[in-house]
Amino acid sequence: MADIKSLEHPTLKVPYEILNKRFRTAQKTLDREVSHVQQGISELEKCLFQDNEVKAINITNLLGGMVEKLQVLKRKADESISEELAASQVCKKRLDHLKEHAQTITNESSSRGSVNNWRRKRLDRMVVEYCLRNGYYDSAILLAEKSDIKDFTNIDIFLNFREVEKSLANHETQKCLLWCHDNKSKLRKLKSTMEFNLRIQEFIELIRKDRRIDAIRYARKQFPSFEEEHLSTIQRVMALLAFPVTVSITPYASLFDESRWNDLIEQFRQENYKLFQLSPQSVFTVALQAGLSALKTPQCYSEGRRSKNIAACPVCNENLNKLAEPLPFSHCSQSKLYCYITGLPLNENNQPMMLPNGYIYGEQALAHMAKEHNDHVICPKTNELFPYSKVEKVFVM
Amino acid sequence: MEACLAVEKDVEKVLSKFNGINEHSEQVLSELIDQVNSLKEELENAPEDHVLTNVQQELLFQTMGKIKDIVSRLAIEHRDLHSSVSKVGKSIDRNFTQDFAACSIENVFNSPEKIECLNRAICDHYFRQGMHDVAEALIYDSHTEIDYDEIKPFTEVHNICEKLREKDLEPLLAWTTINQDALEAKKSSLEFMIHRLKYIELLKQGSAFQSDAITYARTHFRKFVQKHEKDIQTLMGMLLYVPNGIGHSPYSSYFTSDEEMWSEIYEMFIKDACKLSGVCENSPLFTCINAGCQAIPALLNIKQVMMQRQVNQIWKGTEELPIEIDLGSENRYHSMFACPILRQQSTKNNPPMRLICGHVISKDALQKLANGNKLKCPYCPVEQSPQDARQIYF
Repeated sequence: MADIKSLEHPTLKVPYEILNKRFRTAQKTLDREVSHVQQGISELEKCLFQDNEVKAINITNLLGGMVEKLQVLKRKADESISEELAASQVCKKRLDHLKEHAQTITNESSSRGSVNNWRRKRLDRMVVEYCLRNGYYDSAILLAEKSDIKDFTNIDIFLNFREVEKSLANHETQKCLLWCHDNKSKLRKLKSTMEFNLRIQEFIELIRKDRRIDAIRYARKQFPSFEEEHLSTIQRVMALLAFPVTVSITPYASLFDESRWNDLIEQFRQENYKLFQLSPQSVFTVALQAGLSALKTPQCYSEGRRSKNIAACPVCNENLNKLAEPLPFSHCSQSKLYCYITGLPLNENNQPMMLPNGYIYGEQALAHMAKEHNDHVICPKTNELFPYSKVEKVFVM
Repeated sequence: MEACLAVEKDVEKVLSKFNGINEHSEQVLSELIDQVNSLKEELENAPEDHVLTNVQQELLFQTMGKIKDIVSRLAIEHRDLHSSVSKVGKSIDRNFTQDFAACSIENVFNSPEKIECLNRAICDHYFRQGMHDVAEALIYDSHTEIDYDEIKPFTEVHNICEKLREKDLEPLLAWTTINQDALEAKKSSLEFMIHRLKYIELLKQGSAFQSDAITYARTHFRKFVQKHEKDIQTLMGMLLYVPNGIGHSPYSSYFTSDEEMWSEIYEMFIKDACKLSGVCENSPLFTCINAGCQAIPALLNIKQVMMQRQVNQIWKGTEELPIEIDLGSENRYHSMFACPILRQQSTKNNPPMRLICGHVISKDALQKLANGNKLKCPYCPVEQSPQDARQIYF
């Protein structure tokens, strides 16, 4: 249960942010339409009080306009509220999915299968998010479809990102500027430099095309609003006017670097995460890190780790082994011993035994081996042969 | 659970309020539209050069006032919902952990090699799951290179899974026949489950297929009698209720859980197939993520405690997690020796040592306990020389 509490915050927070956004747009639309209606009313009232003799035909025209305005208001109200309802429904659906897990876990009678099923879906959800964050959109969509978890993932908002990212990759700023405009107030609150960086980039592109006069015009128009915060950057960028595109002096050469577009894409992603209150790291990598650490033992990195049982250890898996390298080991304050040969735990029923070369194996495995090899045992790690009688007991507290 | 319920309460509130305002606005706006329309009609029916009477003027004036009132109230009512909406957000923040990444290292998997490893691990998982298309899509999207020899055994499994999803049991049945002996050795009941499902499918078609079902049972159930006697009795008992529909009988649970039976067979098949080819049933990735989901709450807790005591620097720079995460014995794969004296995990420089009497302590502990040339075992009365202890290997 604690896992839901610690890991599912973004699952719920993203649809909430969407709901919140929709609420704001709905409120704006309503206010606008209401003021239209009120405008109509004041026109009509003006008409009523203007003359002593009010002609019916004038009034009917105005009344017709009023009906139209009211109908628009009604339609808009209906549309916006159903948008809001849809967003709240998404929240609820996700809650239901989380509750399902809580119920299967607390319910003793539910099979291991259903718990595992839910967990598998959780992994699928995490992988979808991981894919989206890394730009593997098609895989994410396919997986969500196959695993039937589309409602629980944030594919929609990421697909919106995709368009903007694509346009940035094509060195176009239009879509991203539009996005900045749409989210103006929030971005300002986050102190985002997205728009400024885009403007700078446009300026640089003008110089790259050697349209320096246009560049100056552009700078005059766009830069003053950023003067206060970014004066030094503006100064440096303006200095580009004095250099050829092939300049090799340090700060200026880097401004002409094409990789700045990739930085813009990365910045755009990060700003979006903040906008939807997504953490900069995906749940998937966070959970994987914790899991690898919890399973990582020094043995996973020792020589000769490939035995039958150990092949099952996830951290000994080639790929995960590399991933786990920089992570901390698991903590262990109580010995937990397993027989290298059989994988069975070593305890009072299967005593740990030491061969004369110092290696420890389970009593059961050694006894079995001795029976088959004429009262001799072979150390599977060093291939040495010992008489079974030389095997000694070991006590591990 | 409480966390979910708390948020749900707030979401429900928002839903009901939005529903309320939706109905309300529709109703009052329709009323207003009707009213204005009827006024308009009345005036239209009047002669062309009709001049409004005082009463009509007053009526118009009043209606306008009413409209003004109602629409502005509507906007205000909607604005008032904001508090309920933001309550949901606050409730989510309060009941769920916002900063779940607090105890992880940032960007540790961000280098191109690490991303490649990660993608390969994900692909491996989906190949095992029989979701080849997903794995292939990821390979394509991320330009990952993969060793196709490694996934060969999964391809056959995948094909059978595809058929199973289409509710076709035949390929699976063929597979179980080929691998009969091996399955027998692993005590798998997969084959019985398949026949059971087929038998129930027959019964479902009603009494017309009753004799088919009986023949089917005769030919296929015989060899399972020893292992599944009880199950077969239940299955045969169902025959009693065929004419009246088993849905209303004590056996109804077998019928409603149809989907479950298919997914059960699906899972069982994957499990058995993995067992036969000697790979672990769960992919390493799946095991890791589950372990991680279990570990994170504990790690977040300890992190918080450490922050309160202002010892959180300890977190960084250590090579071990600060606490033990109990993942159950099924998730332990290596022997871990922790010195019973120092409560520390053994390392290369501090290996486990076996004393003459058989007790094992770590080398550091041994050196601390030794008094010159003498050492008394901390667990038994034996006295010995520290030199006699010898290093052991788990």
